[in-house]
Amino acid sequence: MVLMQISEPGAEAEQTAARRYAVGIDLGTTNSLVAHFDGEVVQVLMDEDGRASLPSVVYYGDGKSEVGGKAEAFAVAEPHNTVASAKRMLGRARAEFNDDPYVALTQHGLAFETDAGQKTPVEVAAQLLIELRSRAQAHSDEHMVGAVITVPAYFDDAQRQATRQAAELAGVKVLRLLNEPTAAAVAYGLDEAAEEASLLAVYDLGGGTFDISILRMSRGLFEVLATGGDSALGGDDFDKAIVDLWLERLHLSDPTPGQRRRLLECARQAKEMLSTDEQATIDCSALAMSSSELTLSRSELEQVITPFVGRTLSACRDTLKDAGVESLDRVVLVGGSTRTPLVRHAVAECFGCDPLCTLDPDQVVAMGAAKQADVLVGNRAADEALLLDVIPLSLGLETYGGLVERIIDRNSTIPVALAQEFTTARDGQTGLVVHVVQGERERVEDCRSLAQFELTGIPPMVAGAARIEVTFRVDADGILEVAAVEQETGASSEVVVKPAFGLDESQITDMLKASYEHASEDMLARKLGEARLEGESLVVGLHAAIAKDGDLLNPDQRSELEGGMLTLQSALTDTDPEQIRALTEALGRASEAFAARRMNRSIQIALQGVLITDLGAEDA
Amino acid sequence: MSAPARDYFALFQLEPVFKIDDAALKRAYYALLDQFHPDRFAGKPQVEQRLAAQFCADVNSGFRTLSDEVYRAEYLLSRQQVDLQAAEREGVGSEFLMTQISLRERLASSESDQAEEREQLLQEINDHYTASLEQFDVAASEGHWRDAARCWQEMCYLSKLLEVAQTESR
Repeated sequence: MVLMQISEPGAEAEQTAARRYAVGIDLGTTNSLVAHFDGEVVQVLMDEDGRASLPSVVYYGDGKSEVGGKAEAFAVAEPHNTVASAKRMLGRARAEFNDDPYVALTQHGLAFETDAGQKTPVEVAAQLLIELRSRAQAHSDEHMVGAVITVPAYFDDAQRQATRQAAELAGVKVLRLLNEPTAAAVAYGLDEAAEEASLLAVYDLGGGTFDISILRMSRGLFEVLATGGDSALGGDDFDKAIVDLWLERLHLSDPTPGQRRRLLECARQAKEMLSTDEQATIDCSALAMSSSELTLSRSELEQVITPFVGRTLSACRDTLKDAGVESLDRVVLVGGSTRTPLVRHAVAECFGCDPLCTLDPDQVVAMGAAKQADVLVGNRAADEALLLDVIPLSLGLETYGGLVERIIDRNSTIPVALAQEFTTARDGQTGLVVHVVQGERERVEDCRSLAQFELTGIPPMVAGAARIEVTFRVDADGILEVAAVEQETGASSEVVVKPAFGLDESQITDMLKASYEHASEDMLARKLGEARLEGESLVVGLHAAIAKDGDLLNPDQRSELEGGMLTLQSALTDTDPEQIRALTEALGRASEAFAARRMNRSIQIALQGVLITDLGAEDA
Repeated sequence: MSAPARDYFALFQLEPVFKIDDAALKRAYYALLDQFHPDRFAGKPQVEQRLAAQFCADVNSGFRTLSDEVYRAEYLLSRQQVDLQAAEREGVGSEFLMTQISLRERLASSESDQAEEREQLLQEINDHYTASLEQFDVAASEGHWRDAARCWQEMCYLSKLLEVAQTESR
C-alpha cells in the first residue's frame, strides 16, 4: 500500500538500520523463559549455566533472596520462605486461597509470610522478571527497549493489571500483554498463513496446570472463542502416580519425605525417558530401599496416567461445546507434558487432526512472544499481519436493581472506547456510584467486580433529569479505564482499573525507590537509555513529518519546532535523563497540534484510498 | 473530554442509511485498522502513538456500532437527535407488547427436548424481528423518526429474545 508512508522513506531506513532489541517473556506458573527474535531465528536465552527455563520460584530468607534454581534449593528446609506458583495468586482475592497456610491477607492485600517480611504476588513476579531482564540484557549490548509478556487467555483485567505492575516494578517496559495461546500460534507462523478463516485449539499441559483454548483466526485477527481447563492438573500428577505405583511394588507404605522427594525425581526421569524409549530403568541405590533399581514400561506409564489424560479430554470437549465449534483445522501443543506419546495420540484422536509439535512445547509461548516483540518495536515492515486481540469478557456497570448494563461486548476488538448515558434514580441525587463489572451474566452478583468509584457534584435535579456520560476505554493490552462526566456541570471522575488486591501507586513508587537504592547505577543507565531513545525517535519522526507535511505549519510554528528539535538533539549527548526527558516532553507538547493535523490528513488520504480500491474492485 | 464524535458512516465511506453494504463496511474497517492500529505506530513518537490509539478506538467503536443491526438503528436515531429516553418512556404499542409476552411465555414453557417445536419458535421470533427491521428501514428512509424509534425498540426486545432462545437451544 502506498498510503502507509507517514514518514519520509529516508528516515524509516535510518530507524530500521539499527534493530531495536526487544524480547518475549513467558512468565509461567512453574517455569519462566525469555526469548529473542533477531529477524531470522528465535533464540531462547540461556543463563550462565546454559539453562533455558527459570523455575518460577523466589526465596526470601533472612537478609538474602534467591531466584530460580537457587531458590528451589530452599523449598524443603524453609518452605515458608520459598514462594512458588505465585502466578496463581496474581490479582486474585483472598477467598480463593484460604487453604494456603503461608498466605495472609495484609493491609497490602494478599501476601506471603516470609522471614524477609510480607511479599505480594506482584513483588514475587517482579523478582522473576528482574532475573529475566538481566539475562536478556546480558545477551546484547543494545539497550533492551521492552518486552512482550504472555498471560493466560482467561486472565481478567485485574490479573493483567497485576502482571503489568510486576513489570513496572522490575523496570521492564511492556510492549504488549499477549495471550499465551495466541503466542503459541504466532510461534508457528499461523498468523501469516491464516488468509482464510481457520479454527485452532491450543492444548497446554504444563507441570501443574492444564489450559485449553479455542481460537479463530481470520485476516490476522485472533479471537479467543473459549477457554477451559483445570488449574490443578498437570505433569506433576503423572509423577505422583508413578511414585504410588513404585511404592506399592516395593511394599513401602510410609516413605520419609526425603525418600518421596527422591522418588519423584526418579519418576520424572523415567517419564522423560519413556517419551522415546519403551522401557526405563532408574538407578536408585542411593535411596536405601529393598531394591536398587526402579523400572517402568511405556504401557505401565500409560496405564497410570490415563485417568489424568481423560480429564483433559473431557475439558477439551466441554470447551469445544462452549465455543460452539465441532471440528478444528489445527491443534498446537504447549507444555512439557505434551511430550508424552500417550498425550499426543489422545489429542490427535480427540480433535481429529495431527497436532503441531515441531517446536519445543516448553518454549513455544516465549518464542511467539519474541516474534511479536520484534514487530512491536518497529523492526519489521508495516505490511506484516496485524494481530488483533479481543476482550475475553463483557464489561459493564451496575444499574438500578443490581442489574448489569453492558457497555463493551465480549469479543470486541481492542483498543475500543464506548460511551453511554445514564441518569439519576432519585430526586435531588448529587452523587453516583459507578460500579464496574466484568462477565456475561445479567446480575451483578454473578459477575466479577472490577472497580467502584464515585461521581460527586451532580447538581440536584429531579430523578431522570441529570445526564451522566460514562465512557469505557480499553487499550491494546486489554486494560480498562472508566470515566464518568455529568454533562451539565462537567463534574467528572475516573478510574483505571487496578487489581482488587494489588498495590497502589504509592506502594509501587516506594518499592521502585527501594530498588533504585540497591542498583542506582543500573537504574540511571536504563533511564538514560530510555530517555535518549524516546528523544531520538521524536526528533527523527518530526524531521520526517516536516519534510512530508511541512505545509501544515505556518513559518512561526515551523521555526518553533525546528528550534526545539535542535535543542533536544544537542541534549541527547547529555548524561542527565531528566533533562532529556523534559526537553522531549516540551517538544512533544509543542508538536501535538501538528501531529493531530497530520493524523487527520492521513485519515483523509486513507479514506480516499479505501474508496478508490472499492471502485477498482467493482471495475474488475 | 473526548473529541467531537466522528460520523461513523463517513468514517467507513458509507451512505447514512440503514441498509448498508456489509462487505464494504468490512473492507473499509480492515483497511483503516491495518493502517492505524497502535502496533503500526511502534517506534514512532508517543504523540503519534496516542493519536493512533484514539483513532483506532473510534474505528473499532464505529465498526461495532454499524455492523450490528440494533446498534446501527439506534445510531441512526441518535444522529437525528431523536430523544431515545423519551421514546423508551413512550414505549411500544400494546399489540406488540402482547406478542412479545406470548413469545416469551412459549419460550419459557417449551421443553429443551422438543427440538422441532423450539426450532419453529425460533423461526417465529426471527420473522417478527425481520418485520420490525424492515419497518424501521422504511420509516427511517422516509424520515418518520418517531415510528422508527418504536421499531428500534421492537428490534431491541426481539433480538434479546432471540439471543435467549439461541443460547438455550445450544
